[in-house]
Amino acid sequence: MTEAAETRGSAVGRVGGRKRQVFLAVGGLFWTWLLARWAYHNTLLDGLLTAVGLPDVLRSDLGVSQREPWLPADWFAGVAANLATDAGGVSVLVVDPLVWLFELAALAAESEPALAAGAFLTVYLTVLSMFFGLFIAVPAAVTRIYGGPISSRISLAYTELIRGTPLLAQLFFFYFGLPLAGFISGFRVMEVSGMPRAAAVVAIVAFTINSSAYQAEYIRAALQSVDPGQLTAARSVGLSRLQGIRHVVLPQGLRYAIPGWTNEFVYLLKYSSLAAFITVPELFRRARNIGSDTFQFTDIYLIVGLLYLALVITTAMLMNRLERRVTIPGVGMPAGRD
Amino acid sequence: MEPVALLSDWQFVVSNWRFLLLGTVVTILLTLSSLSLGFLLGFPAGAIEVYGDGWLKSAVNTVGVILRGTPIVVLIVLFFFALPIPRLGTVPVIDMQMNAFIAATLALGLRSAAYQGQVFRGSIQSIASGQMEAARSIGMTKLQAVRHVIFPQAVRRSLPGFQNEFTIVLKDTSVAFAIGLAELLTRAERLYLQPGRDTAVIEVIIVISAIYFILTFTTNRALDRLQQRYAIPGGNE
Amino acid sequence: MSLLRIENVDKSYGDEDVLHDVSFAMETQDVEVIVGPSGSGKSTLLRCVNRLTEIDSGAIYLNDEEIHSLDENELRRRVGMVFQDFSLFAHLTARGNITLGLREVLELPKEEAVAKADDYLDRVGLADQGDSYPAELSGGQQQRVGIARALAMDPDLLLFDEPTSALDPELIGDVLRVMNDLAEEGMTMLCVTHEMGFARSAASTVTFLDEGRIVERGPPEQLFENPEHDRTNAFLGELSGLH
Repeated sequence: MTEAAETRGSAVGRVGGRKRQVFLAVGGLFWTWLLARWAYHNTLLDGLLTAVGLPDVLRSDLGVSQREPWLPADWFAGVAANLATDAGGVSVLVVDPLVWLFELAALAAESEPALAAGAFLTVYLTVLSMFFGLFIAVPAAVTRIYGGPISSRISLAYTELIRGTPLLAQLFFFYFGLPLAGFISGFRVMEVSGMPRAAAVVAIVAFTINSSAYQAEYIRAALQSVDPGQLTAARSVGLSRLQGIRHVVLPQGLRYAIPGWTNEFVYLLKYSSLAAFITVPELFRRARNIGSDTFQFTDIYLIVGLLYLALVITTAMLMNRLERRVTIPGVGMPAGRD
Repeated sequence: MEPVALLSDWQFVVSNWRFLLLGTVVTILLTLSSLSLGFLLGFPAGAIEVYGDGWLKSAVNTVGVILRGTPIVVLIVLFFFALPIPRLGTVPVIDMQMNAFIAATLALGLRSAAYQGQVFRGSIQSIASGQMEAARSIGMTKLQAVRHVIFPQAVRRSLPGFQNEFTIVLKDTSVAFAIGLAELLTRAERLYLQPGRDTAVIEVIIVISAIYFILTFTTNRALDRLQQRYAIPGGNE
Repeated sequence: MSLLRIENVDKSYGDEDVLHDVSFAMETQDVEVIVGPSGSGKSTLLRCVNRLTEIDSGAIYLNDEEIHSLDENELRRRVGMVFQDFSLFAHLTARGNITLGLREVLELPKEEAVAKADDYLDRVGLADQGDSYPAELSGGQQQRVGIARALAMDPDLLLFDEPTSALDPELIGDVLRVMNDLAEEGMTMLCVTHEMGFARSAASTVTFLDEGRIVERGPPEQLFENPEHDRTNAFLGELSGLH
């Protein structure tokens, strides 16, 4: 009963039929644009191409604000302006939404380079934090179940404290509370180009700790669903307790944790938006800045909402696929074991 | 940092207990209003996803995906800026802007409805189909069967999910910071942004985190009790 | 006038014919037992009578009214059903299981509903279990609550869908005793069951259904002692071998 309390339903669920076709088509277009943008301004790729004699194919030298939109923003804006002034007797009910749509398209085209740069940081923060979080989560979960009375309580306190307080408060704690940003900026590594700014590193630290607590809960539940007889059997062939956990319990249990883990991935993808409040220029921060510049808050938030939806839905579909890939018949589905 | 300065930072927090308490009240109010809205809309949404058909089911499903797939901060700012919520002024004492409160309630509540709908859907589907047939076989209408047979069982089975949802909504009320609603986190920031108080950041944040933790912890225990109390005798659910 | 008249009923799921040209009639106070191998369409036939399943073609009359011209809830109020897996409402006590329909469908006042429920619990031998929840009762007790729940609605006809096949052998007796009592009191019953003892002692007519068709129908003595068809003989032989 408590195990159900640890999880949150998946954002998207399985998508089927014609809806799936539409999602695949739109998602494909979306990722083509994102990857093209990322590659076009990637320092490493540009360096590589320059080295083989193609210096000006990619433009990693351009700052985000100097990047040219790939869609005709001015044209959209022009159409909107013409429609607004010269409706030609057509009902306002038709014209007004049309004007708005073209204005929206103009804003989207205008902001596209900045939003792509933001989306890169969003994905970057999420992937790294999930990855690093895993290295805390597995030991935390194992300690919680197999540790002694003190170590298991410490693990419990860690996960409960992290999961019992808001992520935004945790970000503030690390960024404004601890002088972590200044500390990080002091390192020479931070001067190497391509490294994220100190605020982004603080965000990764906070997200890593936060996601590690949630991941640990999923993994704990999964490990507990492994038949205790498995560890006994491991001990009976002469493996130590730790070896038994490492070679028998974990390989089975981690499989059960995959649905929860992919869920947590999508969850963090959305919550990485909170890094905006500690100045990290990820997707939401970019949109907020554009809003402050143009005062088109509603429009830019609508656009960024759609971008997040595209990110989340495509990621969720990919994760579903991954889940099916890694399931071995008869293993990884706790419900099917009895 | 000198110990004297440290002490005075803690004293600063303590001397502002009333200010933070009022923030806690706003946080609790926002949690309750959002959860209620989520429950009121979530159950019908879950029921429609199981028993509904055609465009209604499809519409509920699509809206659910949109609400669950968008970050809460985007929903909150979008509702705040896009909806024509009238300027209703500010509630005295707790210093709460009504239009920000309404926008945050709608965003948190509708998203919660989308998640609670999933919880209810799962609970309804876990109830044996025989329960519906048995209800229909004594002449109850579909609506009567849902109301008297499915609903009471589904709500009980949803309690763990609901408990989870409570924690998430409570924590996410802090995101209303984005629209300046005077809840706990916003008030925390106002405290340490006062001139000369930037040394108290960590103390203030530790205190408000403790308040959030106590709220989630005590409510979770209370809901555990509730669950035991209303469990069906002999039932394993 | 027959209480129940089934005429040329067909039912198929996709390519699979479940019922094929089934016709028979029952009079008030008849106890009709349907036997047949699993998958022969017995349960489907039963569920067509209270429209939990809809027929493809043919007609079913209850008191000379075609059941599809009736409101389905009204039909189900008049035709009670007892399920193989009991299907008691898990969140309600034994008494609550019975009063729910009385209160919500028949709209009886609370005291009357409770009194009636207790009366029916007494009739199935469970007067002391009114406050127990289904999960606290044995299978046999649950099934007797299921019978009381159906009975309390004052149905014209009671359908039994293999009421004892989910029960442990030592619990079957109590349920059969209640069914025998009902038969003696003149309740009209349409039963799908493998309990040949019950069929012999209580049935007015036994119908042998195989592959969706009525193979043979007649009084129990005839069917059990002198079946006309080899298939009936083979099936009954197998059953008595089992029991």
